[in-house]
Amino acid sequence: MWTFGRKIAAGFALAFLLLAIIGGVAFRSIGALTSTSQSVTHTHQVLEHVAEVLSLLKDVETGQRGYIITGDEAFLEPYQTGTGNVHTVIKELRELTADNANQQSRIEKMEPLITAKLTELKQTIDLRRKGNVEEVAKIVRTGEGKKDMDDLRSILSQMEREERDLLKQRADEVEAASSGAKSTIIYGTAFCLVFVMAAGLFITRSLSGQIGAAVRHVQSSSAELQSAANQQASGAKESATAMTEITTTISELLATSRQIAESAQRVAHVAEETSSAARSGDTTVQRSHESVNNVKRQVDLIVAHMLDLGKKSQQIGGILEIINELAEQTNILAINATIEASGAGDAGKRFAVVADEIRKLADRVGGSTKEIRVLIEEIRAAVNTTVMATEGGSKAVDLGARQFVEVTAALKQITELLGTTTAAAREIELSTKQQATAVEQVNVAVSNVAKAAKETEVSSGQTLQTAGQLAGLSRDLIRLIQATAGA
Amino acid sequence: MTSLLPTTAKVVELRSVFDRERAAPSSSRTEVQTESLLAIRVSRDAYAIRVSEISGLATDRKIVAFPSPISELLGVAGLRGTLVPVYSLAGLLGYGAEAGQLRWLVLCGTEEPFALAFTDFEGYVRIPQEQLYSAEQKDVTRTHVTHVARTIDMVRAVVSIPLFRETIQERCRKYSVQKER
Repeated sequence: MWTFGRKIAAGFALAFLLLAIIGGVAFRSIGALTSTSQSVTHTHQVLEHVAEVLSLLKDVETGQRGYIITGDEAFLEPYQTGTGNVHTVIKELRELTADNANQQSRIEKMEPLITAKLTELKQTIDLRRKGNVEEVAKIVRTGEGKKDMDDLRSILSQMEREERDLLKQRADEVEAASSGAKSTIIYGTAFCLVFVMAAGLFITRSLSGQIGAAVRHVQSSSAELQSAANQQASGAKESATAMTEITTTISELLATSRQIAESAQRVAHVAEETSSAARSGDTTVQRSHESVNNVKRQVDLIVAHMLDLGKKSQQIGGILEIINELAEQTNILAINATIEASGAGDAGKRFAVVADEIRKLADRVGGSTKEIRVLIEEIRAAVNTTVMATEGGSKAVDLGARQFVEVTAALKQITELLGTTTAAAREIELSTKQQATAVEQVNVAVSNVAKAAKETEVSSGQTLQTAGQLAGLSRDLIRLIQATAGA
Repeated sequence: MTSLLPTTAKVVELRSVFDRERAAPSSSRTEVQTESLLAIRVSRDAYAIRVSEISGLATDRKIVAFPSPISELLGVAGLRGTLVPVYSLAGLLGYGAEAGQLRWLVLCGTEEPFALAFTDFEGYVRIPQEQLYSAEQKDVTRTHVTHVARTIDMVRAVVSIPLFRETIQERCRKYSVQKER
């Protein structure tokens, strides 16, 4: 896309080119006209010289005649003037017609005739001065002087005729050159005017369109700028408010930092006291650890005894199985004895009674073994429960012992950490004091920033005003462009 | 130690009861007509066998399987020096094969003896004769059951060993006839 400057430069360059062409053509035409006019003037000069030659010759002849007739020297004045000038004029004529071979040829022919004529005239004058009038008449009557004069008149007439023809020809050329120059100036100027008008119209329309779009863009941009300036102004106001709040907060932070420094001092003191308490706790924990180890040994002994008791109760269970089996076999034997006794009739009655009693006893033994089995099962369950509980206790004691070790280690670590804590608290105290100093500096800096924010607020207001002015300027420009376009 | 005291007391009680009964004169014992029964269970049903109808009770005897067309015959076992055919009591009563070990055997008869095997023996029971009812009286129609006995805790069907013997003999006869044909 062409820029404004490029378009205007192109328009002016074309207009300049056209003007240069027209000027060149006009210059050439005027040059030709001037040249032709000079030729005409030259021709007029030649004509004047031709006429002057004839006039001088006539003057010379007139002076000669007056002297011859009167013998008065006063009549010789035209003769003497003409004789003195005629060769100068002939010389000038030769120079003027140097570019014309015909005229040069005629001058060549004319010069002997002039010399002859002047010789004849001088001869007659000399004779008259001597008083030989007859001799003079005789020479005149020969007619040679007249003949020379007639030839000279004829040659000069030819020269004049040729110069007149040249004059006419050059007048026509001047007319043609003048007409060409007029046409060139009129049509070229008209064409140039039309071109300049068209270029002006094109450039005006193009510039109006582009500048109008640009101005509208500037208008929308200025509206956006106005909006942004509004936001910036409100933001600057908020920033100023926030800075004020930050200043307040930093002041509070400063007070807090001082409190922290005091607290850190107290923490260091408390940490030292805690460290000595932890050392005393370490001794107590070691004593407790020894007690727990004793408890652990006792619990291990209880577990061993309970396991032994469980084994014994299992052995009792085995013996009881044997007793139960014996009771069952006794019962079977008693039943069989009863059967046999009943088969023996009256003789077996007492035996049947004994067998019945044995069977009852076996039944009761069987019942008792069942009860004992239940009791043993209960004992075993109790032993198992006790073993499990004791093992749980043993594990708890183990855990306690381990925990005591861990507690001892933890107490040692606490003591070390308390040393670290004391150092850290002192560092915190120092750091917090440095922090308080830094916060004071930050407070000063924030106050400066708050001032800057207020200045920004003022600047934003100015920006807003400028944006408003820019928007008004854009509207004016659009009105101008629209008015121009409308016009 | 305190839990063992009741057991010790029970042993003392057993001894005193035994001594008292042995020391008492025979005339002091009441002469009541009673029936001795073996309380058993067949497939969880309560049954009883008259002690007067059997010749012995045994347990944990090895039963050697014996091929036979009679499905209830389990095999043979050695009882009191004699090889005795052992039949499934549950099979003869119409039940299927019992789950569990057939560790109890009752020996029936002395001439042509046979044994009946079952899984659960609950004990020796003696009841008065008036607590023994006929099966028809109680409308019980189970096979090989002739009476019903009311014990302390329940009612039991009393099986008849002679009826079992008849059934077994009938099966053997049928098999012999079929074999002869």
